[in-house]
Amino acid sequence: MTHAILDDSPNQMPTSPRRLTPRNSLIVVLPENHTISPAGLADRLPRGDTSDVDVIVACAGQPVNLHALQRTVSDAQFLLAPAGTSMEDLRELALQRAPGDIVTLLSGALIDASASEQAEILKSS
Amino acid sequence: MSLPQLRLSVIVPARNAASTLGTVLTAVRASQLPPNSYEIIVVDDCSGDASAAIGARYADVVVRLNGRVAGPAYARNRGAEVARGEVIAFVDADVIVAPDTLPRMLAALDTSPTLGGVSASHDDEKEAPNFVTEYWNLLLRFGEERYAAGRAHFASGCGAVRREVLESVGKYDEWRFATGCLESLELGRRLHEAGHDVLLDPALKVSHLTRWTLGSVCREVWSRSVLLARSLGYQRTRALIPGEVVFTLSRALTPIVAIGATLSLAAAFLPGLYVSSETAVALAVLLLANHSMHGFFAKSRGVGFAVAAAPIHLCVQGVSAVALCAGWILRDAVGDIVPDATTQAYSEVGLQTWPPIPRRP
Repeated sequence: MTHAILDDSPNQMPTSPRRLTPRNSLIVVLPENHTISPAGLADRLPRGDTSDVDVIVACAGQPVNLHALQRTVSDAQFLLAPAGTSMEDLRELALQRAPGDIVTLLSGALIDASASEQAEILKSS
Repeated sequence: MSLPQLRLSVIVPARNAASTLGTVLTAVRASQLPPNSYEIIVVDDCSGDASAAIGARYADVVVRLNGRVAGPAYARNRGAEVARGEVIAFVDADVIVAPDTLPRMLAALDTSPTLGGVSASHDDEKEAPNFVTEYWNLLLRFGEERYAAGRAHFASGCGAVRREVLESVGKYDEWRFATGCLESLELGRRLHEAGHDVLLDPALKVSHLTRWTLGSVCREVWSRSVLLARSLGYQRTRALIPGEVVFTLSRALTPIVAIGATLSLAAAFLPGLYVSSETAVALAVLLLANHSMHGFFAKSRGVGFAVAAAPIHLCVQGVSAVALCAGWILRDAVGDIVPDATTQAYSEVGLQTWPPIPRRP
């Protein structure tokens, strides 16, 4: 299976020398034909100093608003797998790219569902 | 509409578990729980296979430990450190939960505020891939029913514990238990000593995917028995009644009889009626000592199974007996189990690193 990395950073595997604290990675997995708002994505990313968290956005196919997403989360690595790649395969591919000792995997579909639920709660309150 | 609160963190320690991990995680995902009310954390303990990759297909968090293999107690503790749920469930990488196992564990903890932990027992109805596996699963089930009900037995295969309770007792003992053996039993004891109820619910059953052979069963029994005599059971047998042990193989009388029977069997190859009659008596005593277990086997699988299992059990008890003696001698000669000198030195100076140096509970 072929895939593209839209990032110049080297692909580091978790075999780095001894560290004091674990390295964290966050993988956001976007299903095919799923549009996630840049604000929604940014909302779920760690705030403040993100230098110790590697963010990878993994997509099946190219999202329509890829450039907007890239502008919003400029530090993130974008992994573009071929269209038709399953969510499970996408997660596995992204993990191979993630350098972290602790890797958190977020589903893009859940991000939007969660955001809309939150909006609904805010409306009704 | 309200957002489901994250209540449960399911921690799966995995070490070269690629062949079973996908099935295990699929079963966890099929639990009758609201999707966002639980998270799955897979802790990969330096696997040489695709365990981490398979974990990523299903898990919310994958923790990758590198360096050297540290054992399931250590891996579970690392998972507990990143867990966000108020209840933490530990599921082994070869254990299949039923859709209602985890919800029922949560319900049990909700119902009883004094309950610190609850665990599931072996499923004795599931068809096993071979005779030895069936024997071993039934033996463990027998031990659970007979010795664990109502006592401080926390099963390693699948158990849930309140996070605050787990933290208050210092989590798993990763200092002494570098191998996957009896660490949950020890945790259950500490939970109990801290005043928390620990329930092994015979009605909650989980099936195990591990295929056992006579050799692997003997190795497992050897490890358990040495550890029991050298570490867990040593002080307990000094402080309490010698029979106060949880596992059926470690009953004080049975190994002694097993040694006698084994020696007698060996002696039976020598000519002479006197020796043969001695052997017969020893065997009769051994069968009598295990009559409840053989009865359990006969009730569960029929008389034929019980008869066929008898020689295997004799062999297992022989291994257990020798291992218990070895463990006791090691304890007196060398002392309790401790990590290697380097780990002890790092721990002494408080070296901070990732993965962390094993800690005492």
